[in-house]
Amino acid sequence: MPSDSTESTESTESPGSPPAAPARRSFLRGLAGGVAGGVIVGGAAGAAAGYAYRGVPADPAAAADQASVDGVVPAVPFHGKYQAGILPSPSRATMVVSFNATAQSKADLVDLFQTVTDRARFLTAGGIPPVVGINGPPSDSGVLGPTVVPDGLTVTFGVGSTLFDDRYGLASAQPKGLVPMTSFPNDDLDQAQCGGDLILQLSAGNADTVLHALRDIAKNTRGGMQANWRIDGFASPARPAGTVPRNMLGFMDGIANPAVTSRKAMDSLVWVEPGAAGEPAWAANGSYLVVRLIRMFVEFWDRVDVGEQETIIGRRRASGFPLDGASLYATPNYAADPTGDIVPLTAHIRLANPRTAQSAPSQILRRAYNYDRGLDQAGDLDMGLIFTCFQQDIQRQFVAVQNRLIGEPLVDYISPFGGGYFLALPGVTGPSDYYGRAMLA
Amino acid sequence: MGTRPLRVAAQFAAAGAALAASLAACSSGTSGGAQPANEITVSSSECGGAWHVPGPGWYTFEINNQGTTGAEIDLVDPANGAIYAEVENTGPATITPMRLDVGSGRYAFLCSFADYDPQQGTVVTVPGHTAGTPAIAPITYNDLIPLAKRYVTEEEAAIKVMATETATLAAAVGGGDLATARRDWLTAHLQYESLGDAYGAFGTFDTEIDGRADAVGVSSPQWTGFFRLEYGLWHGQSLKSLAPVADTLNRDVDQLVTWWPTQEVTLSDLGRRAHEVIENALEFQLTSRDDYGSGTTLASTVAAIKASQVLLALLHPLLAPRYPGLPAVYSGLDQLQSLLEKEQRPNGWWVPESALSVSQRQAIDAACGQVLQELAPIAAITEPRNTLNAF
Repeated sequence: MPSDSTESTESTESPGSPPAAPARRSFLRGLAGGVAGGVIVGGAAGAAAGYAYRGVPADPAAAADQASVDGVVPAVPFHGKYQAGILPSPSRATMVVSFNATAQSKADLVDLFQTVTDRARFLTAGGIPPVVGINGPPSDSGVLGPTVVPDGLTVTFGVGSTLFDDRYGLASAQPKGLVPMTSFPNDDLDQAQCGGDLILQLSAGNADTVLHALRDIAKNTRGGMQANWRIDGFASPARPAGTVPRNMLGFMDGIANPAVTSRKAMDSLVWVEPGAAGEPAWAANGSYLVVRLIRMFVEFWDRVDVGEQETIIGRRRASGFPLDGASLYATPNYAADPTGDIVPLTAHIRLANPRTAQSAPSQILRRAYNYDRGLDQAGDLDMGLIFTCFQQDIQRQFVAVQNRLIGEPLVDYISPFGGGYFLALPGVTGPSDYYGRAMLA
Repeated sequence: MGTRPLRVAAQFAAAGAALAASLAACSSGTSGGAQPANEITVSSSECGGAWHVPGPGWYTFEINNQGTTGAEIDLVDPANGAIYAEVENTGPATITPMRLDVGSGRYAFLCSFADYDPQQGTVVTVPGHTAGTPAIAPITYNDLIPLAKRYVTEEEAAIKVMATETATLAAAVGGGDLATARRDWLTAHLQYESLGDAYGAFGTFDTEIDGRADAVGVSSPQWTGFFRLEYGLWHGQSLKSLAPVADTLNRDVDQLVTWWPTQEVTLSDLGRRAHEVIENALEFQLTSRDDYGSGTTLASTVAAIKASQVLLALLHPLLAPRYPGLPAVYSGLDQLQSLLEKEQRPNGWWVPESALSVSQRQAIDAACGQVLQELAPIAAITEPRNTLNAF
């Protein structure tokens, strides 16, 4: 489902009318020049809402664009009740890597989680890497220069169901909703690019920051985990400015989402609530993460006339407006169009989010990135979508949405080939906490 | 003026975090102006001059080479010559930063200019009881020369063993029994893979004896050696057609026996090769790149472990007092070896790397990657360094 799976009647995280971009950009230049106030204000706003998320005040796309060009997207506070990488809008660069745990024992596994925590804490804050002197190779790859810049890095760490087998005695700690990803009727899954004991998503303002973080974490955890599959992604700038970034089908992607500023929405849709039925206590404040790697057959898509493209998606390609709407964030009125004369009943946005009271609890927090990795056997472009979404309950949310999409006309142009179901761990709350501490206790 | 920003940087590094964005923004693009440093002038007649630091902390010394030749500049403990920090290969009229955490203690620069005896500069005492970057007692050329001589002798003996094995192999191929030829091939090839010097020190002999087909292709008559023979023995080529290949291999090895004692070992190679042989195994054996049909790259990895262990045994007296990670190196190599040996079948042959399950492969790759991290500092620690003649 490469376009927008969640249409929301609530206010979205991006206000409908774009703010005056020039003023915002000059504010960020001031920030880039060393004014720390902006960082603190943003952080405080996030903390006040109870969320450790990047509190860019308005027009986040334009702000992120300029800051990522400068290479100095502000640091995202690492410590918090929730992981900091879950709520923010997609960064310009991301990477998703699946690992299997190779730690030899439960104690080694704890050491692994502590090490990942320590590296994430340093990398997200930035700083000067330790000097090794004449005792060995340098402690840092140097990819970001002598001082590691935070560049808005977030490190989102999660666990898959296979971690809870008999190796580490964690079977009784397995969350009820954490199961292997099922294959849907239109899937063509490559098992080598599915699942994993652990999932790591690194997102930042620039690709070098993401790669630097991966190399740092990997070199410090070689004995403890081994990568299974990996994919790099990017979020495009919004074109035109003030709209929503586009996917490789040329359509704006993720126009509607539950409002991350709404505590009520996040508590009912994103976070595993403390005391949730059947969930272990340790999972509270985590969030289920679904990753789907979706190839888009862009050559084929480009040979389809735009009218058909728009009826497949349900939105105008140029403007992003719903077919029955006059603005980007307009709510489609399906009640007024019961036979699908305007927005076809099989349009992607209509199946993904029918906008009924019944479908509301199935909304997901959608965080999609584009990927581009070379060519296929026939010389066609291997590009598409790294679909990620966060939710409270995979069956109630992602699976329900995906089941509605079975057989949609779009399936001719896409092919899901990998991914998995994971639980993004609760946040690391302070300097003495670490990822999964309660799970491993 | 010179030290204040440095102290800010030190606090920043210690405290970690919140200022990161703003500090990074400040320093980017203005590296010279934002962070003035202690300039240390060196030449063939001067080694640092009068310098001082106000107290412990992180410092960047800008080493200004005003001499006419290249130099290695070390910051040492004058009591025993132990090295806190070094910059190598500073050219004339260049400025090179040297960064370290200066603790309480005594410091002096040691300047080693090409064609001059090393000279030591002013001794500076930093008061108090603050720990900084530790000093490491340097390993000298004199420490390594006897080890290198021993290594050449040991390798010579191992090459001679291989020569008898390639002679046996050539006889087996000529004798016409495939099973015997394959068995003798494995014995001789693993002996070759257990020679640390197979990595880089054999020059064109390595191409002749153990070259890959990459450059010329598998059907080229220019392709010779163990892999060529392996390819034929496991791809249905007749022993008769392979007999000349085995004979050529045997002759090339005989020439290596003669040539090897005339060679000098580069001293810094001893430590470097201890990890390079395992890096090589990761690159070529644990990816099956060097599998031309026999499926024995896991055995070749065991042979590489042996090569590394020979070097470590030689270097042990120098490493033990200097490298706290040494026990982890030994246990890591043992762990890797035991994981690999699980894949040897009762008949003596090996599970091909490409046939491993995901979990078996990941366990081996994890152990290999981990021990490579532990091995990595050894090359730096055992690099021969200049010292005052007094030490």
